[in-house]
Amino acid sequence: MKKLVKFPLILLGIAAGFFVVTFTIYIFNLDMKATSLLAPFLEKWYDKLERKNYI
Amino acid sequence: MVGYARTFRQSENGGKIKTMRDLKHLKYFEDLLQTAHNELIAKAKEDGKVCVAYTCENVPEPLLNLDRAVSVRLSAPNTGSMDIATYYMTNLLCEPSRALLERAIEGGFNFADCVITPDGCTMMNRSVENMELLHTMGKDNPHFFHEYMEIAFKNTESDVQLAVLQCTNHILKPLQKHYGIDVSDAAIRKAVEEHNRLCRLIRAIGDFRREEKPRITGYEFHVLCLATYMCPKYLVLDKLEETLEELKTREPDEKPWRARVLLVGSEMDDSGFVKLVEESGAYVCCDRFCFGSYPGRIEIELNDEEDALTQVCRHYIRNCQCPRMMNQEKVYGRKQYVADLAKEYGADGVIYEQVKFCDPWAYERTLGSAMLHTDFGYPVLSVDRPYNIASSVGQMRTRVQAFVESIEIKKIQRGGKA
Amino acid sequence: MKTVEKIINPVKRAGEQSPGKIYDEKLKVRARREWRGLKDTLYDYTRWLYLMSVLGRFIIVPRNVKGFFRYRWMMSYLFVPHGMDKFTIGLRDEALRIAHTSFNFVIADVTQAIANCFRGDRRVGNDKAYSDKCVITDENSMVTFMMGFDKEKVHTILREVPTMFASNIFHQFNVMHYLDVAQQYGIPGDVCPMPEAEAGISIDDDFCVLGCCAVQNNTTCDGSLMGNGIIAKRLEREYGIPTFQLATPLRHKEPDVLDYAAREIRKAIAFVEEHTGEKWDWDKYFAAARRVNDATRCRIAQLEINSTPYPQFFGAAFSLYNDTNYMGNSGRDPQFVEIDHKLLALAEQGYRAKRMYAKEYRHRAIVWGVQPQYIIDQLYWLLQCWGVMPLADMLSIINTDMIAEEDTPENREQAYRDMAMLNMEMIMRNHTHGGYKVLLDDLWELCEKMNADIVMMWEHMSCKALTGMHGMFEEQARERGIHLMWVSHDLCDPRVFTRQAIRDQVNNYMRTVMREEPLDPSLENIPDSEAY
Repeated sequence: MKKLVKFPLILLGIAAGFFVVTFTIYIFNLDMKATSLLAPFLEKWYDKLERKNYI
Repeated sequence: MVGYARTFRQSENGGKIKTMRDLKHLKYFEDLLQTAHNELIAKAKEDGKVCVAYTCENVPEPLLNLDRAVSVRLSAPNTGSMDIATYYMTNLLCEPSRALLERAIEGGFNFADCVITPDGCTMMNRSVENMELLHTMGKDNPHFFHEYMEIAFKNTESDVQLAVLQCTNHILKPLQKHYGIDVSDAAIRKAVEEHNRLCRLIRAIGDFRREEKPRITGYEFHVLCLATYMCPKYLVLDKLEETLEELKTREPDEKPWRARVLLVGSEMDDSGFVKLVEESGAYVCCDRFCFGSYPGRIEIELNDEEDALTQVCRHYIRNCQCPRMMNQEKVYGRKQYVADLAKEYGADGVIYEQVKFCDPWAYERTLGSAMLHTDFGYPVLSVDRPYNIASSVGQMRTRVQAFVESIEIKKIQRGGKA
Repeated sequence: MKTVEKIINPVKRAGEQSPGKIYDEKLKVRARREWRGLKDTLYDYTRWLYLMSVLGRFIIVPRNVKGFFRYRWMMSYLFVPHGMDKFTIGLRDEALRIAHTSFNFVIADVTQAIANCFRGDRRVGNDKAYSDKCVITDENSMVTFMMGFDKEKVHTILREVPTMFASNIFHQFNVMHYLDVAQQYGIPGDVCPMPEAEAGISIDDDFCVLGCCAVQNNTTCDGSLMGNGIIAKRLEREYGIPTFQLATPLRHKEPDVLDYAAREIRKAIAFVEEHTGEKWDWDKYFAAARRVNDATRCRIAQLEINSTPYPQFFGAAFSLYNDTNYMGNSGRDPQFVEIDHKLLALAEQGYRAKRMYAKEYRHRAIVWGVQPQYIIDQLYWLLQCWGVMPLADMLSIINTDMIAEEDTPENREQAYRDMAMLNMEMIMRNHTHGGYKVLLDDLWELCEKMNADIVMMWEHMSCKALTGMHGMFEEQARERGIHLMWVSHDLCDPRVFTRQAIRDQVNNYMRTVMREEPLDPSLENIPDSEAY
């Protein structure tokens, strides 16, 4: 019986945690802020790739 | 760059030296090109001709010269300010299109009895549309009309069918309806015959450019050829024939040119550009630009098995070297054509030129100059220029001179003389 | 001058009243997301989760990761949520749901398109069996010639959409590199950046290499036509992918070009059949035709709602959704039908409730001209900052005729003409080419029909078809008493006109000519010229 009550509570806890974390990322735009930090490194990566440029 | 009485080149010590004897009618043709509404157009009007104005080489010329119709290619020589046209079209469109609109607004094309415009390039199309909306022409002519037509995109029989339909609907029928022009098959064949006569003359004159010591300069040839577009053809034939006879006995210059170049690109209304190239030491041995001799002055061969209109359309499509012909056979074919001409005329290098802001030639110049160099091994100079070269003579001369020197160096490196 | 009735929103907008305040000039993205009131913020948050799931499902596939690190344009897609925020600025209620429904679907579609590219790409997935059934199309190409092929058996790869078209929406600087490459190789800078960038991508070897054949089109314009040669050369000579150039006549209002255009469609179909080994299926075609008609009806209904005082589906969402549906889909994908009807239901709901999406509607604008990809969200800004409602844009004013949808012998012949007509009337080109009447007269008719008092004219400086009529636009607008607001830009090159420089053209017009103050001063100057 205790497990029957506990399991949904655990799920609820996980869901609540998921919501808090993701909503925080969402509302403070942390996803895009992180991406904008990553972008310059990616640009350097693409600049270094060897390509066959010609017309 | 007008009114030059003599053709000259720089001597080794920097002075100018007189070379070949002047062509008797060169000044006459040069003067004709100074104004859009030249004396021959005035004469044609007096003769009761119908002046069919047009702007694009893709329109089959013989169809504009049927019966009493005469074709006149619109141009705007000695264009200075284009302020009004720039207001209507902005300074982002090519100068020829704006120059034409400016001239139209000034009343410079009032001789035209109709204007036939293909939707070949956007800018020229917009230029003529502005002319129409501003009612720049035909104010006193109740029969005046504007026609816009589709032109072929590829070298296929389907495109020939399209061209035939377009020419019928937008050239022949309107000419017949508004001016009673005879547009029959016989009339077309007669116009082709006259067109071919002109082409033979131009070809014969142009063939002298193949010579190692040519007896006609590229500039002189350009003037003569351009006049055949800007003036009613029937009025230039006699002087062209005389010029051909004169050339047969003309003594060429003894001193060879430093380099021979093939000039490729968009329309060349300004002979001054050709003169500038030659003053820089490069002989313009052949031309492949809009309203030049290739392909515009190639004879049209007709047979009796098929109607003349279809054959004329097929000729124009097959020979068309306009960059807007889009199938890959044409895309590669244009470069092969240039390479073949360069070989035939003994060109050492190729100059790809375009008028500033011309979209089709912007890409064609890029691909052409790359392929002529990598695939065919020709040195290439790739430039853009204003409609009237007078505004950037110094810059262009520097570029061409540097190109000529590079050709000379390459010749030395190959073991030949400079 | 023409005037329209000002409408004041009786309902105070929930949440953020000044969305301009969430921009931070030190950041290249917003300081935070917009608070839209509890209900709409939670809705927006769930849509953000959905987008994350779409991106997440994409990136867990190993070959997609490989593709991500191979192709520069992929970096833009890291900023998809940022793009979504731009397109929902100030929106609530139905308009927010409409923007999300349409955009999310488009994003999912583009993501799938990228995944398909990588699957067949010789450098990435190298699934040869898949690649051998792929047909590449080029920049701004209608895919009507693919309507009768089973999309499970023959795959249409619109290569330019993810590389240039969509990528510039999410990352304003991403296309600059390709423009620089193209110009380095000699293409002048005054040509339209869209085909120039496409050529630059090809020169830079940054296109996925897949497909058994390619169909190129001369739409939209001279630049598109000309860029094909450079791209085809590489496809054919280096990669052995044969190309077919589908010629689409320009004088689309003239009946004497239709048969030629229909013949070209036949040839394109035959070309695809030859190279894919698959046959044209009339059942598939007429099913797609029915969907095209359905989409047309939905779009007409949306425009009718937008003609009322309470437009619902407007702005970048409307424009980009129509582009995708009309051009990229051409009736082939049944999913669009459901989305069309959902969007229409939302619009009707919003209309019945008389929903408004700004404090006031002061003006009603038709947006004409070619829009800049990197600031297409300006249409929402226009509404929020100045109360100018963008009713419709030129790219959304497309074919309104029904095409034959019943399979009969006569209709099979008509089908080629229908496909040809759709091709000729493709987005943008149906107004920029075909004569001045479709550019000028159509605009004034639309202003009359939708009761617009302003035309916001996107003046794409490299679009000669449009700029060539600059003077006529001015004269004719003056004759009709319509305010004509010129907004210059260079399509996908933000160096020529920055975002703020573009907005300032509107700001200056509204202040000096209209003598108005902004509805939301926080939006007048946004420090986003360096932002993604």
